[in-house]
Order: sequence, then structure tokens, then C-alpha cells
Amino acid sequence: MISEAKIYGKYLRMHLLSGMEYKGWWLMLIQVFVVVVTDPISTVLLFSRFGNIGEWTVAHIILVYALAVASFGLAESLCRGFDYFPWQLLRTGEFDRLLLRPRSLFVQVAASRFHLHRLVRPATGIGAVLWALRELEVPLTPLNALILGLALAGGCIMYCGVFVLTSGVAFFTVKGLDWIYLFTNASYQVTRVPEPYMPRALKSMFSFVLPMLFISFYPAATVCGWGYPAWLGYLALPAGAAFLGFSLIIWRIGVRHYKSTGS
Amino acid sequence: MNMKQTGRASRSLLRISMAEGLQYRASAISGVFVSVFWGILECVLFTVFFTYGDNAWNNNGLSLKQTISYVWLGQALFLFQRMSIDGELMDKINNGNVGIDLCRPLDLYTHWFVKSSAGKLGTSWIRSAATVLAGLLMPAGYALGAPSSLQGFLSFLLSVAMAFILCSAFAMLVTAIRLNVTWGDGPTYMLLLLSGILSGTYLPLRLWPDELQTFLYLQPFGGFADIPIQLYVGSMAPAAALPGMGLQLLWSLVFVLGGRWIMNRKLQTIIVQGG
Repeated sequence: MISEAKIYGKYLRMHLLSGMEYKGWWLMLIQVFVVVVTDPISTVLLFSRFGNIGEWTVAHIILVYALAVASFGLAESLCRGFDYFPWQLLRTGEFDRLLLRPRSLFVQVAASRFHLHRLVRPATGIGAVLWALRELEVPLTPLNALILGLALAGGCIMYCGVFVLTSGVAFFTVKGLDWIYLFTNASYQVTRVPEPYMPRALKSMFSFVLPMLFISFYPAATVCGWGYPAWLGYLALPAGAAFLGFSLIIWRIGVRHYKSTGS
Repeated sequence: MNMKQTGRASRSLLRISMAEGLQYRASAISGVFVSVFWGILECVLFTVFFTYGDNAWNNNGLSLKQTISYVWLGQALFLFQRMSIDGELMDKINNGNVGIDLCRPLDLYTHWFVKSSAGKLGTSWIRSAATVLAGLLMPAGYALGAPSSLQGFLSFLLSVAMAFILCSAFAMLVTAIRLNVTWGDGPTYMLLLLSGILSGTYLPLRLWPDELQTFLYLQPFGGFADIPIQLYVGSMAPAAALPGMGLQLLWSLVFVLGGRWIMNRKLQTIIVQGG
């Protein structure tokens, strides 16, 4: 376990250093920042035109949304390799080489990519969470920080699960994986809709299929005291872990099924 | 350059791309799922704001029903927009195959214009049509409504064609800028992002702040989606169709001339990469 962690660290260091060799590496940081900031622009403009929805203000939505975005960004930074896996490793047949090495497959694939600029998304997200908390006048007590930390950890694990699931499914389909976009970049857009007004089908899909609300809305509700049972806010980690567990099973089946591709 | 030859080659390129686009049906189907999901989400969001917002009256002449139609058509027209430069052209720029294309007896700008727009049309028309169909089949509250008038519908169709040309012309301008290999992807990416935000597919332009409305009408990117859709839903009267389409045409001309100028200037000093 410790040796695996060491390898993971070494991989990240290697990718980081090789990325910094490019002269304009910091340009990408700005670019990602602009993308992240402009994404919720339509929500902000809608609030400015239509005013608040009952008790819901911009800060409420930004808090929930930023929690989801930050966990997505964390997973994208730490598990980037799985995101590239179907395209870069599987189709080229390079995956065979990983299978020959006597080390954890998970670590090797997860760390096969790392881009520094991916960290801009979680950093901006966490910044936005802090801004929203100040706007809502909720103090950042140790307990609140713990709940939010658990939410981020659970969310990160859940999104890692999404990437692992994509890779697992890719063993069978090889191509035509555009639908996975629903679980990645499109999924956190759901948090733009205030939870009490969400249609039931949407709510159940994003609680029980992809535990989106457990990693964003319920922790936020517990921290700010929006009148939901407090224990719901602590479920982020188990919910995320359950999703990752399910994905790992698919991944295992996929690896067993694998008969090499490419040349 | 021999214009007749270029024209003939362009027609073949278009045919090849259309056939190619039809090959990837699985990819198109899963793409439709994403568009439809996105559309439903937007419909939910707008319904919440229009129904429960404190200032729900403040909709600037765009009713909820019109907005829902806007969402579906926006999803369909969004597919005409480029998220990145055409992959094939990008490869050519990066690995130096621009040199090979320059040897062909075709006008490079026209050749690339047709190639990239045909590639886009070939892959996007099935997705667009399927998204519109899905919008029509939605349950009543979330369904794409009928056009406001026959006249509006006809001008919508014409305007969509112009929107496609405008999108392609803009993509070519961005490609021409990308010929400066040393700048990297940054500037082109920002330009494409900006055009996407200002096209109305993020948020109908009428729902943006009132102070910006004149600017939003005159800026080029409204022609990507906002003008045709407004003609369809009727928030822009058929009488306003002519000036709207004139705007689309004007900006297309500006983009084509600008793209040609930048490309020609760049080609005089081009450094072919790779070997």
C-alpha cells in the first residue's frame, strides 16, 4: 500500500515537471479559470433578472454548485488517467504494458496523466464555497469545516468512480462513450436547480443512481441549517464510496474480459 | 486559382464528410442523449425561475413557453458551433501538412472552409434533427412549441442557413489565427468560448441585463443562434427578419474577409513544422 502511494507520488511529480517544461504552462491556468468562472454566468444573470426564488438567493445556489464543481475538479486532477484511459491506453493497446508490471493497475492508470491546470477548478470551487458561506453569514466552525471536507472527499471519490466506470465500460464498447458526459460535466449542472423545486425523477436519479445531492446539497443544508435532517449531511463519504465500489466491480469485469486491442 | 476546380473538389469533400458522419451512429445517439438531458435541465430551471421568481414579470417579452422552445432549438443549433478547431485541420497545422495542402491546385481558404463546415454538418445534422424531434415529443410543459407564424418559420429556416455559414466563417477566422503555431491553443480557445457565451445558447440573450440589449443585438455571435430562434418563437417580429439576417450576412462577410486576410498574410511567412 505504501509503495503504491510512493509510485503514485512519483508519477505525479514526473508529470508535473514535464508539464512545466512548456514555456506557456501558466497560460492554461488562466484559461481554465476563465472557463470555470464563466460556467455559472447564466445562473447569476437569471437571478439578477428574476430576483430570488423564495428563500433561495445566488449564494445558496453557488454554495451547492461550487461544492459539486470542486469535487469534480479534485477527481479530475487525481484520477485524470482514467478519464484518458479509453482513448489513450485502451485503443492504442498500451494497456498491455501496464498489465505486465507487478504493481496496482489502479494506481498506474490513475497516475498515467496529471495536469497542473486541472487543480484550478477545485481551487476556484473552494474559493466560491467560502464566498458563499460568508454571504450567507454561516461561520466556518470546525464541525462545519469537517462536514464540507467530508463532502469534498466523498464527491471526489464519487467522480473517481465515474471515471473508473467509463474505463470499465470502454472495455466492451471501445467507442461511442459520449453519454458519459451526462455523469461528468453535465451532472453538476443539476445543482443549479434549487432542490425543493426539483422534479422527483431528477431528484431520485441524482440521489440514488449518482449520489450527487449527497455530496453537494445535503452537506450544504446541514452546514447552513436549512431544515433537513442533519445526518443526511454526513452521508457524502459512504455514498461516494458505494459508487466507487460499484465502478470497481465493473472495472474488474472489464479487465478480465480484456483481450488486447491495437497493434 | 481555378474557381471551377475548387468548386468541384468542394462538392466531393462535402459528400465524403456526410457519408462519414453517417458511419458513427452510436456516437450520434449517445450525443443526442446528452443534448436532451441538457435541454430538460434547462427547461426545469427556466420553469422554476418563471414560476417562483420574485420578479417573474421581468421577462423582457420572452414568455416561459417561448423560452422552452428557445431551449430546444438552442440545443439543436448549438451543434453548429465549434468547441475547438476542426481536428483534421489542427493536425495539419501542427505536423506541417499545411505544406501538402498548399501544393494542391485549390484555394486554401475555400478548401478548408468547405472541409471544416462539411465535417461539422455531416456529424451534427442527425443530432440536431433528433434533438428537435425529442423536443417535440416532450410532455406538454417542456415541449417545443409551434412557430409563431408561417412567415416567422420561413425566415427562421433561412436564418438557420445563414447561422451555419456565420459559424463556419468564424471558425475559419479562428483557424487562420491558429496558424500562429507558437501562440498555442489559448487565444483560439478564448475566442470560441466567448462566441459560445454570446450566442444565446448559454442563456437567451433577451434575459441578459437590459443595459446590454443593444450591444447584444449588434454583436456578431447573436447570429449563431439567437436571431433564428427569436424569429421562430416570435419574440422578434417577422418584420425584423430582414435587418436580423442582414446582420448575419454582414458579420459573415467580415469574418470571411478577415480570415482570408490573416491567412494570406500568415502564409507568406509560414514555417512548416515537422518533416
